[in-house]
Amino acid sequence: MANLTIICVNFLVLYSCVAAVFEDQVGKFDWRQQYVGKVRFAHFDMQMQASKKVILATEKNVFASINTRTGELYWRHVDMVGPEGNIDALLMHGQDAVLVGGDGRLLRSWDVNIGGLNWEIVLDHGSFQSTCFVGQHDTVKYVAVLKKAAISVHYLSNGHQKWIENLPESDTVQYQSVYSGGDAEVYALGVVPHSHLAIVAYSVDDGEITKQVSVEAPWLSNIQASCAMVDQGVLMCADTTTSSLYMLDVRTQSQMTQIPLQSLGLDIAPDFKPVLVSTQPNPARPPNSEFFLQLGPDHHLLLKLNDGEIVTLRDFKPALLVSFAAAGEKTIAAVMTPKNLTACSVNLFSADSGRRLLDTTLIFNTDPNGGKPEKLYVQAFLKKDDSVGYRAMVQTEDHTLTFVQQPGRVVWTREEALSDVVTMEMVDLPLTGAQAELEGEFGKKADGLLSMVLKRLSSQLILLQSWIGHLWKLFYDARKPRSQVKNEVSIENLSRDEFNLQKMMVMVTASGKLFGIDSKTGTIVWKHYLDSVPSNAAFMLMVQRTTAHFPHPPQCTLLIKDKDTGLATLHVFNPIFGKKSHITPPTLPQPILQSLMLPLIDQDYAKVLLLVDDQYKVSAFPSTKNVLQQLQEMSTSIFFYLVDNSQGRLSGYRLRTDLSTELIWEVFMPAEVQKVVTVKGKRPNEHVHSQGRVMGDRSVLYKYLNPNLLAVVTESTDMHPERSFVGILLIDGVTGRIIHEAVQRKTRGPVHLVHSENWVVYEYWSTKSRRNEFSVIELYEGMELYNSTVFSSLDRPHLPQVLQQSYIFPSSISTLEATLTEKGITSRHLLIGLPSGAILSLPKMFLDPRRPEIISDQSREENLIPYAPEMPIRTEWFINYNQTVARVRGIFTAPSGLESTCLVVAYGLDIYQTRVYPSKQFDVLKDDYDYMLISSVLFALFFATMISKRLAEVKLLNRAWR
Amino acid sequence: MASPGGQGGGGGTVSTRGGAGGARRMKWALELSLGNSRGRGDRQGGQGDMVYPIGYSEKPVPDTSIQETDKNLVEKRCWDVALGPLKQIPMNLFIMYMSGNTISIFPIMMVCMMAWRPIQALMSMSATFKLLESSSQQWLQGLVYLVGNLLGSALAIYKCQSMGLLPTHSSDWLAFIEPPLRIEIMGGGMVL
Repeated sequence: MANLTIICVNFLVLYSCVAAVFEDQVGKFDWRQQYVGKVRFAHFDMQMQASKKVILATEKNVFASINTRTGELYWRHVDMVGPEGNIDALLMHGQDAVLVGGDGRLLRSWDVNIGGLNWEIVLDHGSFQSTCFVGQHDTVKYVAVLKKAAISVHYLSNGHQKWIENLPESDTVQYQSVYSGGDAEVYALGVVPHSHLAIVAYSVDDGEITKQVSVEAPWLSNIQASCAMVDQGVLMCADTTTSSLYMLDVRTQSQMTQIPLQSLGLDIAPDFKPVLVSTQPNPARPPNSEFFLQLGPDHHLLLKLNDGEIVTLRDFKPALLVSFAAAGEKTIAAVMTPKNLTACSVNLFSADSGRRLLDTTLIFNTDPNGGKPEKLYVQAFLKKDDSVGYRAMVQTEDHTLTFVQQPGRVVWTREEALSDVVTMEMVDLPLTGAQAELEGEFGKKADGLLSMVLKRLSSQLILLQSWIGHLWKLFYDARKPRSQVKNEVSIENLSRDEFNLQKMMVMVTASGKLFGIDSKTGTIVWKHYLDSVPSNAAFMLMVQRTTAHFPHPPQCTLLIKDKDTGLATLHVFNPIFGKKSHITPPTLPQPILQSLMLPLIDQDYAKVLLLVDDQYKVSAFPSTKNVLQQLQEMSTSIFFYLVDNSQGRLSGYRLRTDLSTELIWEVFMPAEVQKVVTVKGKRPNEHVHSQGRVMGDRSVLYKYLNPNLLAVVTESTDMHPERSFVGILLIDGVTGRIIHEAVQRKTRGPVHLVHSENWVVYEYWSTKSRRNEFSVIELYEGMELYNSTVFSSLDRPHLPQVLQQSYIFPSSISTLEATLTEKGITSRHLLIGLPSGAILSLPKMFLDPRRPEIISDQSREENLIPYAPEMPIRTEWFINYNQTVARVRGIFTAPSGLESTCLVVAYGLDIYQTRVYPSKQFDVLKDDYDYMLISSVLFALFFATMISKRLAEVKLLNRAWR
Repeated sequence: MASPGGQGGGGGTVSTRGGAGGARRMKWALELSLGNSRGRGDRQGGQGDMVYPIGYSEKPVPDTSIQETDKNLVEKRCWDVALGPLKQIPMNLFIMYMSGNTISIFPIMMVCMMAWRPIQALMSMSATFKLLESSSQQWLQGLVYLVGNLLGSALAIYKCQSMGLLPTHSSDWLAFIEPPLRIEIMGGGMVL
């Protein structure tokens, strides 16, 4: 019987919170964008003239194929994160792409048409150095892989190893490069830095060493950086110190020929390391005799090796980027030269003569909000009249890929910086002009009755006008076929919608590029590249002024801190248009430790930002007189805390009136035992509607809603499964009082944590039971409130009641976040990003420490689910159905204007935006609401009433006559 | 009394216009001789072709003169009125028991009726007093009537209470508690 009731209760509870999407709702309010990351290797698929593929391998360990006509992904393979999945090399031959991954651990061959794996071979240990195709008799049959101590040759068709040989003297010689020119030999090139060059030739057939030479080269330290193979096996090297080129025929010579650059009439730009670029269009044949030599940041030369003589074919200055490409049998050179500040031009040159090809100019407009071009990939093809046509893919510093066609039409751009979003915010869109007019009316002070009436009338007129315009547009669009009607989003027509469901997503990426994305469609509205961002910067994004203060533009501030120097800069911008604000941010000469957003506002309605420097002094931004005065008045109630996880020190400070600080509390975590991993307070924009929970006997258990509460997670430094632990500490950030402390033994991180309302949910790995576990802590004040009007941490004599419960979760998780709504009336859900890419929306009521083990009438009255250790994962709880978000790293939630609706953005390699309704859509009509039926019934009833009324009248009259 | 014919109009009916082709009849006509209507069946009814004079009724007229002796009958009637609400109470208790404490449409309707009826009765107290005017124990009866109604409404309130419709618990006022004002401003985090 008890079981039956449990089943019934479970059934009711589970089916009351099912939140799946219907098939016809797919893509209605959600979108996903897939990215690949910064490109490391790119090859055009050249096997067919009309091929539309470009194969990319990226620094995010992604191997993908992109449609060159649309810029969309054909297929994508996401490998492991970190060095294990790192793509070391990519070779393309025909429809096979050979990839070396995981520092030479794996050799894989992929079919580029369908993205299927041909074969995979696990290679022997050893750090990967180089790889190349090996061809014989004009056919490519093998692939050679050079490792630190061994060289192996594999069949291209099935990956089987043909032979493997240990490299001679591999403990002294650093082998760095492997070369095959289509003859019967494979050359391994190694270097003993500042001493000599070692060349070992192996026979392709059986791996026997046919030749071993050691060449004097005291200036050489890195072959791959300063050398290239040209012509029939000639190793060409460039050296800065002697400012000369060195030449060596690896097949025959044993002495390097020095050619001073001065003899060619050239010199190297100061502090520049010359770079050689050669090309080998067919791996079964030796490389071309033409090569590029870069002598300065914008100085390139096209050189040719002609019977041991170096001939300058053409001097390109200025030239930003150069690239070789093959068109049929011809080899051409593409050169990008700066045209003016905003544009570059690309021209093609015949590689063997250096002549410019006619009608091959392409204008590439550089984005003023983007970075400089960094790499140029050219896809050349022969037209019907035997002239050369081409398309170019340009990679810029901000990780953008732009595909350009002649004469300069941008076919597509991909913002690959978005594959690495660091932090984001969602900002309300501004009101339209008319709405703002109406709003502004109430903001201004009254100036006479008549003028107010006139103003009201005029604003109403404007509203009417815009409404008629809207109707007209609807009518106009309705006549067009549906496919043509596009909701183009541009800066002009950005305005808040009825329920504030459309917002501006401000995203900060690790590359330092900022994006403004419309949350409804996913269109990038603006982008801004900050070119001075260091690679290991820490970012903090704050919204100082929202759009609510009409004549003042909204304002966001980005704090960029260089982790090496500790110095920080502020970038102040308008989040709607992306423009840099005219407000000059203060220069920060001292390293900044933390920043703190106060609810104080200055006379321009901008929230005050406090920056704490390493002297624990505070500076305010904006720092007007008004602000400073307010700060002085408020200083006794402004506190901040700092967590130094290298020392394991948590400290709390109080602001003094002179903007210096005073240490008021300190907690030490012994850094040799445990380290602080996460500290989380509550979100400042979180509202809690209900101050307590109703018990089964209709009394109230009041929540302990301390806005200053911090949840601190520590992990043990000892990682032994028997001794490792995870600690959680709830501490009051104002007084430093420890509210609760819990240690989970035999567990380890990574710990994911959500802290909201009166609860903390965290997830960890239990080494004892080898499973993931969720734990929830809830804090209650008890049956009576201590002080229901104000909350002060300094006046709380009683500690709260702490309830805790743990559950088994069947999957590991990537990220954890809680839904957030406008007023906090809607029940909460936890959004869990799973490694599979799914985002699970788990009702918070499953994580409730009051879940009873034995159900009673009271618990049933409270709708408590009986305790079950296992937490279910139901596929209908996946809010992103099959739109998986690869490598989800963070989830951002924002309230919308509707209480029922919470906006969710999940980011990682992909970006996915959707809406969730934790308590279903109780405040709007459903999507499938049958307007037609209801209105037709209404009309029918209305007419029926009219007719029957008339009939009744007639009948009455007749009866009266009778 | 002669019954009207099955197919005909009424007994003394207003004849309406008949067939179009027929001779034009009068728009209306009063047939004074009720028995001699057109129905042939009537004529052959075999009840005798008695013709009553106008205004004659077969029913006997009741005796309307007041009998002075039935004073205690009035008393009784007044007590009936006064005890009416009290008599309903056992019935109400039964309904209350039957309807249970779940909140659904029928119990709510019951409770509403139970609560509304005494209130209505109390509001029309003066009318009831007028009814009781003729009684000698008017005040006592009035008091009983009042008490009965009060008991009825008390019962309704008790029912509301047991159904949990009365805001008597702290949880009923929970939604009105404002979130407390925070005094301290706090922020910070990990050293960046």
